Amino acid sequence: MTIATPRIRRTPPVPDLADIQGGILRAYGNDYSRTTYLFVNVDETRAGLRWLGRLVDDVTSARPWTAGKPATTLNVALTYDGLRALGLSAELLATFSDEFRAGMAARAAQLGDVGTSAPEYWDTPARAHVILIVNALSEDDLTGRLADLRADLGRYEGLSLMHEEHASLLPGVREHFGFADGFAQPAVEGVTDEKAPGGGVRDKDGWRGLALGEFVLGYPDESGRDSDGQDLPSAPAGPLGRNSTYGVWRKLEQDVALFRETLRTSAAAFPGGDEEKLAAKIVGRWRNGTPIVLSPDGPAADFRGNDPGANDFLYHDVDADGRRCPLGAHIRRSNPRDSIGFGELLSFRHRMLRRGVPYGPPLPPEATGPDGQQRGLIFVCYVASISRQFESVQVQWLEDGNVFGLGHDKDFLIRGPADGSGKMTVPGEPPFFLGPQPTFVTTRGGQYLFVPGITGLGAVAAGTAG
Amino acid sequence: MRARRAQASPVTVLTPIVPGERDALESYLTGLSDAPGGSPLARVPGTHFARWVILPDLVTDPKQPAPDPLGSPHLLFTSNVDGSADDYLAAVADTLTAEAPEIWGRCVGCPRPATGAGLARYLRHNAIGTGLFFAAYPRATVQAVTAALDVHDRLVRLLVDTQPAGPAAIRAAFLKEFRP
Amino acid sequence: MTVSEPGTAVGTATGTGAGNIDGQAIAITVFSTVKWWGKHWLPLLFTTLRLIPPLTRDLRKLSFIHFARWTLIRELPANGDTAPRTRLRYPHLFFESNFNDGWEEYIDAFSYVLTRGMSLFWASSYGFPGALPTGPFKDYIHRNELEAAHYYSAYPEATATMVRKALALAPAVADFAERAVRLSPAEFEGAWSAFLTDAQDLL
Ligand code: HEM
Repeated sequence: MTIATPRIRRTPPVPDLADIQGGILRAYGNDYSRTTYLFVNVDETRAGLRWLGRLVDDVTSARPWTAGKPATTLNVALTYDGLRALGLSAELLATFSDEFRAGMAARAAQLGDVGTSAPEYWDTPARAHVILIVNALSEDDLTGRLADLRADLGRYEGLSLMHEEHASLLPGVREHFGFADGFAQPAVEGVTDEKAPGGGVRDKDGWRGLALGEFVLGYPDESGRDSDGQDLPSAPAGPLGRNSTYGVWRKLEQDVALFRETLRTSAAAFPGGDEEKLAAKIVGRWRNGTPIVLSPDGPAADFRGNDPGANDFLYHDVDADGRRCPLGAHIRRSNPRDSIGFGELLSFRHRMLRRGVPYGPPLPPEATGPDGQQRGLIFVCYVASISRQFESVQVQWLEDGNVFGLGHDKDFLIRGPADGSGKMTVPGEPPFFLGPQPTFVTTRGGQYLFVPGITGLGAVAAGTAG
Repeated sequence: MRARRAQASPVTVLTPIVPGERDALESYLTGLSDAPGGSPLARVPGTHFARWVILPDLVTDPKQPAPDPLGSPHLLFTSNVDGSADDYLAAVADTLTAEAPEIWGRCVGCPRPATGAGLARYLRHNAIGTGLFFAAYPRATVQAVTAALDVHDRLVRLLVDTQPAGPAAIRAAFLKEFRP
Repeated sequence: MTVSEPGTAVGTATGTGAGNIDGQAIAITVFSTVKWWGKHWLPLLFTTLRLIPPLTRDLRKLSFIHFARWTLIRELPANGDTAPRTRLRYPHLFFESNFNDGWEEYIDAFSYVLTRGMSLFWASSYGFPGALPTGPFKDYIHRNELEAAHYYSAYPEATATMVRKALALAPAVADFAERAVRLSPAEFEGAWSAFLTDAQDLL
């Protein structure tokens, strides 16, 4: 089943790359091995505006680089409290989405951030105003840029640097459990059309990228795509409603020792004692990224996640019952493609551009238990609607399994219910049951963000945003 | 959509609220979910899903030529029930002896006391037929549903607990739990 | 809008006012005013759908609805002199559903999957913007929706899919239990494995 083909042939809108911040529509790439998030609070509006005003010119846009890669990039994201602290009018503030205004901590119960994941245990500030995102090619580049930014901040009274979160890529662009991460991304029409097969949506003419407005505000989304720009998705009023986006920032601590231990003990009862296969069943990919739905018996040695066509696969026709890739596997839950039935109709409005980076040192392979170090994933994604795209995936697909016919089973890769009763079914002959479900991932911080376009950011700094 | 042969049936009752009683009725109804024993509807046998809704008035769409006011707020009661609507309404009247006077007792034309056969007659009089009824599992009673859910939960727990054990232990555990 | 701000819910039942939620179950209650021809059209539609079950196959397949109903209200029962009125100027369409998962996801599914169906049901209603695009359709439903003062589910933690699976599983378990009593431990192993293989979709 495909979505309706538009009656009018239209050319996709052209994104204003010079105004959209960088790192959203396209990742900066794996050469940028370091990412730091600086949490800045604005205690005094005027100081905040002056500081931002000077920063605006340094913000990295999405315009392609012609003179090679810069050593560092800088991006600016704001929370709702931040927008308030910067003096936006009540009328303008009211035009931001409900969930953004509430903030992530206020949505904790819904998002499953309860128990040890509850905001009272977070180790990053629950209230923040501005988050600066700095990417760097090397440690030295990072050190230099951060020193400049700190010095700059120090020049203003009424601004405080609340927190620094340092993240960096692990060897082979793996996340801490050992899987290649970050390459399966939605295709955006007019931007990353080459990813359309498997990353976009099908209409009668075949695959196409998702409407730009699914990820950047001020452009038609999939609902208004055929209205010729008449029907734009809801966005903040004025200059903030164009070339901006919403962001989700989550610090997710990973218990790697527990993950390995669980694999080892569970595999003892799994056919063939095959730990690697069991791991692949939990994620839906082998460690190098090969989708198990395509390659059920082992990874393809030459699999490259970024190759064109690497993510061109569906589930329904080849694997409706999950004998290859379990219905509860992480990638089948977080992007079910055509798995829910009705083609992609029930999943294509729930895509996100993920820009996460791991933090903390890897747990050495030979470690036999926890080493007392903290590590995990700074999960970041950009979406036009936090509730429809991020929250819906988190709440309906990861924290619950009903949509997939899995009852209240939660994503096994992330965390089990508080009472320790969770399980995952690995379909087979006979099926295998993983359980009880431990908690591998604990939320340690989170923010809902707004990432203005560069013009919009300038307007905030000039006090003219409204 | 097998409204005729199905076991489950829809109940819809729409009654005018006595002028001035709307707020008291609404706060009584919203308070019910905090009642110590839970919802009183749990005591009415055969209730799958039910609701009380205050209908302040009918919708007036901006495109509709003239408004169509009800004249007073109404109380909508709907339920999805086992068996016939008439039998169900009789059960409501017999069971909700404490609650019904607080609810339909505030509606126009309701007999006093708002209980028993009189109430059942009143509810039936104000019942509205259904155009199209959809039931995902039309032949399963509330009892059958809750029993089946319980079997499911017990079996899943058993599977997770016993998987590492040998067949003899699994058999023993299974028979202990589900012996006919 | 007569539904309170969303955001109070815990679990998958999201996107609607607290009064519309019991556990995983969400109530939706929607009225709309119907144009004159709807009083002929809707009864015809209801009858057709009742007589030809395949027409509602997608509704069934969507599988997150426990019970739903559409009713055309053309007059109100008389309740004596003090009752306000019995005759209505227009017919009114009353829709209720008892479903699970989020409100937004539910209406999206209606728009995208049951596009034609939704148009048939609401075609004769004043102000109906069409089932697609989803934005205006959601706004329309929101505008015409009422929040329940009290909502009850007999099995609040179970979704429609869970109920249907449990109803299929329970007799299979009973049946296997009958057989298991007579099986030797050696025979049991193979039979158990076959039972689980057959029943895995229901777990
Ligand atoms: C520490 C927690 C997490 C870990 C270790 C993790 C790991 C992974 C891995 C290894 C992949 C496959 C590689 C790839 O597709 O790029 C993946 C894919 C994905 N993950 Fe996660 N993930 C985590 C949390 C989350 C959360 C919280 C969400 C969303 C709310 C999410 C959404 C996704 C999505 C959308 C995909 C792409 C699936 C596809 O398009 O096929 N992940 N994740």
